[in-house]
Amino acid sequence: MSGTVAPGAGGNVVIVGGGLAGFTTAQDLRKHGFDGRVTIVDPEGIPYDRPPLSKEYLDGSLPAAKLSFVPDDWYRDNAVELITDRVVALNPDEGLLELGGGRTVSAATTVLALGGRPRTLPIPGGDLPGLLTLRTKDDADRLRDLLVPGLRLAIIGAGLIGAEVAATAVKDGATVTLIDPVPVPLVPLVGAELAVRLHAMHAAHGVDVRCAMTTGISLAGEEYTVTLNDGSSVVADAVLVAVGIVPETNLAEAAGLATDQGIIVDPTQRTTHPGVYAAGDVARIRLADGTLIRRHEHWESAMNAGRTVAAAIAGVPLPAHGASWMWSDRYGVHVESVGDLVNGTPIVRSVDGVPVAAFRMEADGRMIGAATIDGGTAVRAARRIIDRGLVIDPLKLADPSIELKKLAR
Amino acid sequence: MSTQIEPIKVADVGDIEDEEALVVDGAANGTGRDIAVFFSDGQYYALDDTCTHEEASLADGWIEGEEVECPIHSARFSLCTGAALCLPASIPARTHKVELRGDEIWLHPGVPVEGAVTEVTA
Ligand SMILES: Cc1cc2nc3c(=O)[nH]c(=O)nc-3n(C[C@H](O)[C@H](O)[C@H](O)COP(=O)(O)OP(=O)(O)OC[C@H]3O[C@@H](n4cnc5c(N)ncnc54)[C@H](O)[C@@H]3O)c2cc1C
Ligand code: FES
Repeated sequence: MSGTVAPGAGGNVVIVGGGLAGFTTAQDLRKHGFDGRVTIVDPEGIPYDRPPLSKEYLDGSLPAAKLSFVPDDWYRDNAVELITDRVVALNPDEGLLELGGGRTVSAATTVLALGGRPRTLPIPGGDLPGLLTLRTKDDADRLRDLLVPGLRLAIIGAGLIGAEVAATAVKDGATVTLIDPVPVPLVPLVGAELAVRLHAMHAAHGVDVRCAMTTGISLAGEEYTVTLNDGSSVVADAVLVAVGIVPETNLAEAAGLATDQGIIVDPTQRTTHPGVYAAGDVARIRLADGTLIRRHEHWESAMNAGRTVAAAIAGVPLPAHGASWMWSDRYGVHVESVGDLVNGTPIVRSVDGVPVAAFRMEADGRMIGAATIDGGTAVRAARRIIDRGLVIDPLKLADPSIELKKLAR
Repeated sequence: MSTQIEPIKVADVGDIEDEEALVVDGAANGTGRDIAVFFSDGQYYALDDTCTHEEASLADGWIEGEEVECPIHSARFSLCTGAALCLPASIPARTHKVELRGDEIWLHPGVPVEGAVTEVTA
């Protein structure tokens, strides 16, 4: 069947991808009073949130219904149309999108919020059928079905998702081996001090932690063998590959939009085609001076990007976003970080010799980054300190008896 | 809720510091759900304490002006109306009426307020 849906007289918007960035775009367009037609196209159906997929949803404590961003009737009440299909081609000059099912949809404005797909390992056996990844609800369901006590699970990659799954799986009684070539992962995200504490929690909870490069994966009968460059190997019933994502740029590339490890957008999230925006994990901002910013793959930056797109389309002032923020949960602790944990001088706050917070300071006394473990509102306070450029006495920052909230005022 | 729950005195003025909150236990307030009484910018407000996203205590959140930000995933709620102002929460928090009787702070568990703030009775 072929035909054209919605001529788009009133400046209709078609959002490709109903993840956080795409959903937020639709939600904010309506918040701004945008009254044109708004459509979300996503093969996954009703938009849902991903962070619980490695945490509460995976361990069964959060029901599937709670993954949805909003109650289902929100879409009807806000006249946001959902099309469960994949966009297979985009013609930006004519504002036409071709769907996998054969339909053609026209769009005055297109928003590409395509996210990313899990990176695969370029090693022998890296493409074996049955290897697990975790990006979608279907992926989480597959992993969850396997997570029975006694399952031998090998996880390749100890970044955010690998570490969270390790913690969840151990709680569910699995025997977990966690493999990563980096001795202490996540240093760039939370700073060395907290990263060391977090990484040590794996072994403390009985996870077999291997610091090695994975060189091959093989399958014999029902058993996988993961071989490592230190000469050892790991035998497992299931293997999760959690080595990051590749931004979903194929559609954009085929449509002639500029990409460079992400769809290139300007600070309003507009791509190199004026009728097309991109937002979320897939988009990469190029500043007016040509500088390419590193892509963020965090929840809040995807939401913020959606907000910016909606404001740009609706023609209202663009929202200001604070320093970039993320969180992670594992082994019952809550980790948060904000801003830049790579540069600057570290200041560490410890309680009984255990680091609970780390700050990064510029030479002029301004804070540029902060991270905490179970820090309550400390990172929120730090964010205000960073965003307002406040100068705080380093001794006070290091003193755990002083509430950061008081310093942010 | 069918039966009217009696208002309860929860604190004296001055007991809750500015931009802080106090949790009134669900068993003690009669609704079965913890209620947080907030003091911000000279006004008292009360909302169900549990964030409607997951399970964080809003009393532990960042309280500023007429909003509270959840300490776990940063959803923001209006202290006046309970409205969820940003994801990941989309369900409003229940509001409860707060009344000042002289120097005493009284909570009316289960009595919602819409856009109103502390009621003062002489
Ligand atoms: C398991 C997991 C746990 C996470 N935990 C945290 C956390 O604790 N803290 C944190 O800060 N961040 C976390 N994140 C990251 C956060 O969820 C992402 O940054 C966010 O989801 C990005 O949103 P997005 O809209 O850009 O992309 P996505 O959420 O990936 O959405 C992209 C959507 O596009 C659709 N799509 C792709 N191609 C097409 C096509 N051709 N046509 C139509 N639709 C298409 C996909 O089906 C998908 O629904 C986590 C992510 C995952 C996967
Ligand atoms: S628990 Fe409050 S925002 Fe998630």
